[in-house]
Amino acid sequence: MTTPAPLSMDSIVVGRSARMRAVFEFLRVIGNSDSTVLVTGESGTGKEVTATLIHQSSRRKHHPFVAVSCALFSETLIESELFGHERGAFTGAIKDRPGRFELAEGGTIFLDDIDDVPLSMQVKLLRVLQNRTIERLGGTRTVPVNVRVVAGSKRDLKQMVAEGKFREDLYYRLNVLPVALPPLRERREDIPVLMDHFLERYFRRRGEDVPAISDAVKQAFMRYAWPGNVRELENACERIAQTNTCGTVHVGCMSASILFRAGARPLDVSTPAASVPQEAAPISLDDRLRDVEANLIRWALKVSNGNKSRAAELLQIKRSTLGDRINRCGLGALHVPAGDSGEVMAAPPP
Amino acid sequence: MITRERVEAVLNKVRPFMQADGGDIELVDLEGNSAGVRLTGMCAGCPSAHMTLYLGVENALREEIPEFETLRLL
Repeated sequence: MTTPAPLSMDSIVVGRSARMRAVFEFLRVIGNSDSTVLVTGESGTGKEVTATLIHQSSRRKHHPFVAVSCALFSETLIESELFGHERGAFTGAIKDRPGRFELAEGGTIFLDDIDDVPLSMQVKLLRVLQNRTIERLGGTRTVPVNVRVVAGSKRDLKQMVAEGKFREDLYYRLNVLPVALPPLRERREDIPVLMDHFLERYFRRRGEDVPAISDAVKQAFMRYAWPGNVRELENACERIAQTNTCGTVHVGCMSASILFRAGARPLDVSTPAASVPQEAAPISLDDRLRDVEANLIRWALKVSNGNKSRAAELLQIKRSTLGDRINRCGLGALHVPAGDSGEVMAAPPP
Repeated sequence: MITRERVEAVLNKVRPFMQADGGDIELVDLEGNSAGVRLTGMCAGCPSAHMTLYLGVENALREEIPEFETLRLL
């Protein structure tokens, strides 16, 4: 059982992205409902924060919020964890123990990692959701429960249903109010807000004000793909706050693995390669590849301030090859404006 | 055998960020399959920077150059 930190719709960091604003608008709408919510999102996108928020903004907020990860327990343990057991139900069951559902009475239970629940257990969960009653392991008494269920999944349950890995009936029981949390890489515009928020939090914890942050650090944050999403970004901010020694946040405070991967990702905007056609219309592969090539060459020339030898180094090709490719892509007359660093990282002129 | 070029190619991946921040990472020497580097500029005197860069750069070098052995911070 966890005691949630006080959260409210107003205190939480929403960010400016339209997608997150849409999520929060929806949460406001469903705040006072008792229906089951299914929160889907990659690891670290904030499923538990969302569940807490749903609880805190509901009529149930003065009752318990119980979060349980279904991935933590083995198949046999999940049942005892969720529904409890009576004394003597199995070896080691020396006393009666209420399950998480009973502990959440009147409040909200957050069943995280619902996609990790084995098929055999899914039937039992379905029964609970349908009848709103539980039976403790080894018990005969049927106990009514008044609990709002919020389920969390990192995988697409509908897809799992199609693959026969998740029961269709349980899916429909859970997917009454769906909330989809976007991965951080699809709402990059929120990165600066989140960065400020977490740096503020961790520097405050040390009793310090947030120092100045260098542009290079900001750029690296913007360009990194954040596969661990907001959790990873929070972790990076905590690290900065704990290791900063000089009063300004420089790239030396950052994890080098972030720097390496941010450096390997030259373009901020989606390249033509990323836009896979939706319909069966013909496309020219050669034209597409040339677009990608031209984009990357433009980037290399830009960050090397038009120095072709340096650009060739960045692209890991020979200087002479670069010349050929520039001509082939029709970039011969490309003008590289000085000082226009735009979206891409640029080293300052010497 | 590792060469200066191969090590530099790996270092070049983090360089733009460091240079933009008024620092650099300099390849000082090569000895067998290990390399010695020096941080210069902004983060040169910072123990945190030494730790983060040391681990990250060594990992990256080992990933890209399988025979790479150790990185020395000078």
